[in-house]
Amino acid sequence: MPKLQRRDYYDTARDMNWAFSYVNEDEVFPEELSKSFGIKGDEWWGWDEPYKLTYREYVHNQAGKDDGIYSIRSTIARSNLYDNLDVGWKSAIKAHYGAIPVPEYFASIGEARMARFGRAAAWRNMATFGTLDECRHGQAQIYFPYCLLGKDPQFDWAHKAMHTNEWGVIAARSLFDDMFTANDAVSTAIQLTFTFETGFTNLQFLGMASDALHVGDIEFGALISSIQTDEARHSQQGEPTLRIMIQNGKKAEAQKLVDQMFWRSWKLFALLTGISMDYYTPLESRTMSFKEFMQDWICRQFMDQFKDLGMDLPWYWEKHFLPELDWVHHAYHLGVWFWRPTVWWNPDAGVSAAERDWLEQKYPGWNARFGKLWDVIADNVRAGRIGKTYPATLPIVCNCCHIPICSPSVGQAPRITSHNGRKLSFCCEVCEWVWKSQPERYDTHLSVVDRFLAGQIQPPNLEGALQYMGITPEVAGNDAEGYAWNRMASLAAE
Amino acid sequence: MALFPLQANFRGDFVVLLIPVDDGDDMTAVAEKVAQHSIGLRVVDTGAPKRVYYNGKELPPRMTVKESGIPPMDWIEVAYVG
Ligand SMILES: [Fe+2]
Ligand SMILES: [Fe+2]
Repeated sequence: MPKLQRRDYYDTARDMNWAFSYVNEDEVFPEELSKSFGIKGDEWWGWDEPYKLTYREYVHNQAGKDDGIYSIRSTIARSNLYDNLDVGWKSAIKAHYGAIPVPEYFASIGEARMARFGRAAAWRNMATFGTLDECRHGQAQIYFPYCLLGKDPQFDWAHKAMHTNEWGVIAARSLFDDMFTANDAVSTAIQLTFTFETGFTNLQFLGMASDALHVGDIEFGALISSIQTDEARHSQQGEPTLRIMIQNGKKAEAQKLVDQMFWRSWKLFALLTGISMDYYTPLESRTMSFKEFMQDWICRQFMDQFKDLGMDLPWYWEKHFLPELDWVHHAYHLGVWFWRPTVWWNPDAGVSAAERDWLEQKYPGWNARFGKLWDVIADNVRAGRIGKTYPATLPIVCNCCHIPICSPSVGQAPRITSHNGRKLSFCCEVCEWVWKSQPERYDTHLSVVDRFLAGQIQPPNLEGALQYMGITPEVAGNDAEGYAWNRMASLAAE
Repeated sequence: MALFPLQANFRGDFVVLLIPVDDGDDMTAVAEKVAQHSIGLRVVDTGAPKRVYYNGKELPPRMTVKESGIPPMDWIEVAYVG
């Protein structure tokens, strides 16, 4: 029997859209879960995407991808590949594993919401694949570190992190809840799949996969590349959704969704990827600086695509975003290293003499702003005053990004404001704008400092804070190299 | 005498810190309480005297926190003189 070509049946079979008569549209697509931005039902029916997969093909492809990565895993399990990896790189993957795998499941919830409340059948079909994709990402990225548990207890945090109140986890969870666990379908398409996946993770995973191969971590490289092939597909839900909003006169609303989430994503990206690229990745394996990566991949490639769709650069681009590329992750890195017992990986200082030269070359002025502070730390390490390299109080964290408030230059004040009598602190004008653009969404959420002041952290000291954050002694971070970076520096000086 | 939280940083350091002081502390004591988390840890100890700055103005060393009218959790900066 002759079979129909796929193009002859696919759209008809997929696009099961119809006008409701027994129920009204709002009952099928409640605004809270779906959000129409006032765009009428059949305006969404032109939603389309380029992949046009069938379910049978999807299952076949995905099974092949899983076969690939799990067989690499079992082959490598019999080698000593992991033991020979650079210590800084190990820290980079531990940070990744704590921050990402469980949120992949959160993303699955967001995808499932689009699979039910997306306003076109084609979209719901694509989101069904996305739901399954994100489950696969969660499973694989928990299983791989699970296999490394025998070598290092810090890998336990691949599963544990998101169930704790560790400060970086609060920052990550607040972002992910905002973006997909607790978001409506249309905003999820714009914020998760367009802004975050197309803009950040899709490109980041490509970068990380190539770095992994460069440092010899074939296992992580294979895992990340495999995940990226799914991201490349399901991130395509953003653009058609954006197009429909623009065609229906909702450009301003779409722009606001992007502006909010681009900023929030940027802050977490600077914290995780910024530090990993410029400090944890071994010097000889660095192909570009974090700033160059951002300029090339995010600023140029993503924003070109964004502008081609008729959208504008976020309002804060020149004044806030571009300047932060020069300094913010350097400050975050110094903070993470200094507060190292509060993270589940071993921060690699990454400031040996050669690395400092590289930093100064990539970021002129680094020595004057940050190197100077590292000099004092290095003196203390050399003199054996390790106690002076540890913190005795908490940093103030931003009520929006939940990352410590750092400053690009001396004498810059945090932005302190209030909302209905509640005092709020923000790291910058953009975080304040994001928060104030929807206070009802953020107002009940307490930062780790708010919790401390409310007496939720007991005893009110570093020990109590570590306990509150779920950090146990075998996991608490320490200098990745056992301060070897500094011995080398002092030998070189002599 | 009551515990009084402030946001503070030592000029030149990179991060804003939570600093508990006492509302009876004078600005000399406040400056020390801020400095101990930065000086000799990340900021070079020059031995120079330190002052407290609030809203761009230097506060007198003998003024207490209570007298200054600074609300809890407002931001102050501490810096070396000169
Ligand atoms: Fe994913
Ligand atoms: Fe912020």
